[in-house]
Amino acid sequence: MTDAIVAKGLRKAFGSRVAVDDLSFTLPKGRFLVVFGPNGAGKTTLLRMLSTLSRPSAGSANILGLDLIEDAQELRRHIGFISHAPMLYPALSASENLLFFARLQGVPNPQARVKDLLDAVELSHRSLDPVSTFSRGMLQRCSIARALLGDPELLLLDEPYSGLDLRAADIFDQLLSDHRADRSIVMVSHDLQHGYDLADQLLLMSRGKLLLSADKDDLPFDEFQHRFRAGAGMAVG
Amino acid sequence: MGDKRTGNAGIYPAVGTWADTLAPILLLLALLLTTIGFVLSFIWAPPVYGASVNGVEVIGGQVVSNVLLISQKIFYFHMPVAITSFLALVAAAFFAVRFLMTREARFDTMSRVCMEIALVFVIMTMATGVMWTRFEWGVWWTWEPRLTTYFILMLIVIGYFILRNAIDDPERRAVYAAVLAIIAFVDTPICFMITRLVPSSIHPVVLRQGGGMGVSMIVPLLMIMFGMVMLGFALYRLRLRSIVLEQKCDALTETLEDQRESA
Amino acid sequence: MGFFEQYRVLLRKDLTREFRSKEMLSSMGIYALLVLVVYGAALSQTSKGLDILQMSGGLIWALIVFTSMLGLNRSFAFEKEQGCLEGILLAPIDRSTIFLSKATSNCLFLLVVELITVPLFAFFFLGGVTLAPSWPLIVFPLLLGSIGIAGVGTLLSTITLETRGKDVLLAVLFVPLLFPLVYACVAATTGCMVGSEGFMTTYLRSLLLAGGYDIIMLSLSWALYDFVISA
Repeated sequence: MTDAIVAKGLRKAFGSRVAVDDLSFTLPKGRFLVVFGPNGAGKTTLLRMLSTLSRPSAGSANILGLDLIEDAQELRRHIGFISHAPMLYPALSASENLLFFARLQGVPNPQARVKDLLDAVELSHRSLDPVSTFSRGMLQRCSIARALLGDPELLLLDEPYSGLDLRAADIFDQLLSDHRADRSIVMVSHDLQHGYDLADQLLLMSRGKLLLSADKDDLPFDEFQHRFRAGAGMAVG
Repeated sequence: MGDKRTGNAGIYPAVGTWADTLAPILLLLALLLTTIGFVLSFIWAPPVYGASVNGVEVIGGQVVSNVLLISQKIFYFHMPVAITSFLALVAAAFFAVRFLMTREARFDTMSRVCMEIALVFVIMTMATGVMWTRFEWGVWWTWEPRLTTYFILMLIVIGYFILRNAIDDPERRAVYAAVLAIIAFVDTPICFMITRLVPSSIHPVVLRQGGGMGVSMIVPLLMIMFGMVMLGFALYRLRLRSIVLEQKCDALTETLEDQRESA
Repeated sequence: MGFFEQYRVLLRKDLTREFRSKEMLSSMGIYALLVLVVYGAALSQTSKGLDILQMSGGLIWALIVFTSMLGLNRSFAFEKEQGCLEGILLAPIDRSTIFLSKATSNCLFLLVVELITVPLFAFFFLGGVTLAPSWPLIVFPLLLGSIGIAGVGTLLSTITLETRGKDVLLAVLFVPLLFPLVYACVAATTGCMVGSEGFMTTYLRSLLLAGGYDIIMLSLSWALYDFVISA
């Protein structure tokens, strides 16, 4: 079994400001990694670097056997990204949105793929309605469908729960586990308990630096919580 | 700061080198050269016939076709300043390209300081240019190619600083500023070409009588020219040095605040 | 998937979206109409003998420059609102393709607006004058001008997208940078509308210069776009 992500000394800095500093970690395939940290810890910057949206200033990463910088274009085919912004055009219908992104991704047979995914997220009855008429939960479901279009091996989630009500969050959890298959997942989370429950592996960041990288089995929740508070306390005061 | 492992390479422009030792000397030399050159342009260079207008023209309330103009002396100041401002713009574009290639913050700082120098000299060019049009052509403003180009250039350079002020993220600010510096550098000659080559029937065609310049004109002109370029360079180094100090100070303050918070 | 296919997909998305919401076209159209109204007031005290024809080229281009800025401001705003731009950037797509498709859609929208407002300008202000027989040649400066405005404007509106006070900032950068192009286009437009003796020289040379501006500035914008959109 190979690794989904091997990051070595990832750094994002400009001038004297360092957003992420010398970050190294390994994520085996099929595992769920949750990244925790207080505000300004560099979690989102890390995720943006892994998603090829932002180019690291130094360091390297091998994702799914591809180099993050050299093979960025090819890598984009294998990554799905979900953030709190739905990344859907309000004026277009759900199926138009998905078809658009499917064609950009170069998905073979986009029509069929979009139909399958809309069925999977239970939106096929609304597929022709403009996205602007959707509720927050429906938007997020549609956004999951968008991320899954290219059948990505790696899913990146940037605080996908923010703005979701409890029920929508439950549906999201359900969908996530339905579509886990063999996918590797990296999620950035604020919610300690919830993130801990989902995770296989934990990463704790503060001020751009890695504080802790552990397997969930080695770290009971109480101790993790303690470490988080200590780490956050060190950063925030 | 405090990060000795990765070092500070590429963050700050190198200062305190030979160039900074030279800067104050150059500054003095520049002041001397420009002053002497300017005095010489009055006492040594002969007065020149001003613009010869097609037919007759009213200049300063007088109907003239050809007039001896003391205002021609503006030229000794105007042209060197204009050339220096363009050199500063070239340097700004050069550092902007270097920045986009390397992403090192120091090139952003250098490009920005060059732009500041360019702005100072562009404004001086504009001021003298407007005086020139007033006394040579009898109007405060005319959309003449060189004047227009410098006016547009001034607006772009001012826009450059407005853009810088409107972006918070330092890296994005640096990238956008670099792109704009390069565009400004390309747009300016195009602007001059177009305003010059598009035929226009509205402005009087102004020709200067006699193409040649005697030694008594060239020497003061060259003195002021070298003086202005030196002045530009000296100002650049001085300003760069103070900005780097400022940046280092800011970084230090930030680190100290961090440490106090976590203590 | 090739460049052309992606270009087509992006362009079709812009057109469908605009067709659905009519956001850009309607705001640009109404704004242009209002500028014409202001022109009406501005020219109301001029004498009957005023040669409006000599000014019309300039007035048309003032109208186009101000109207286009409104559209350019909108053209990226909606991409940003729901994070769609990131969605596009996450696809395996060459960044310059995004530039070309966006410049094309901006140019198309601008041309549509011109198609309505230029005749409207003629209707309001050129009723009493006879145009030179060469007036249909106005098409070429309009085309070259719109291409340049859309190209440079696309780069600038991407730059100003995430700045404070972006509407004003776009104008601050856009007007001086576009000045040479507008200058050449005004000369060509006025030339063919007035059609005085030997206007063809002015017309052709201005068109050539406008074309040169387009080629140089578009290549530059295209080359620099990757830096801007990835920043």
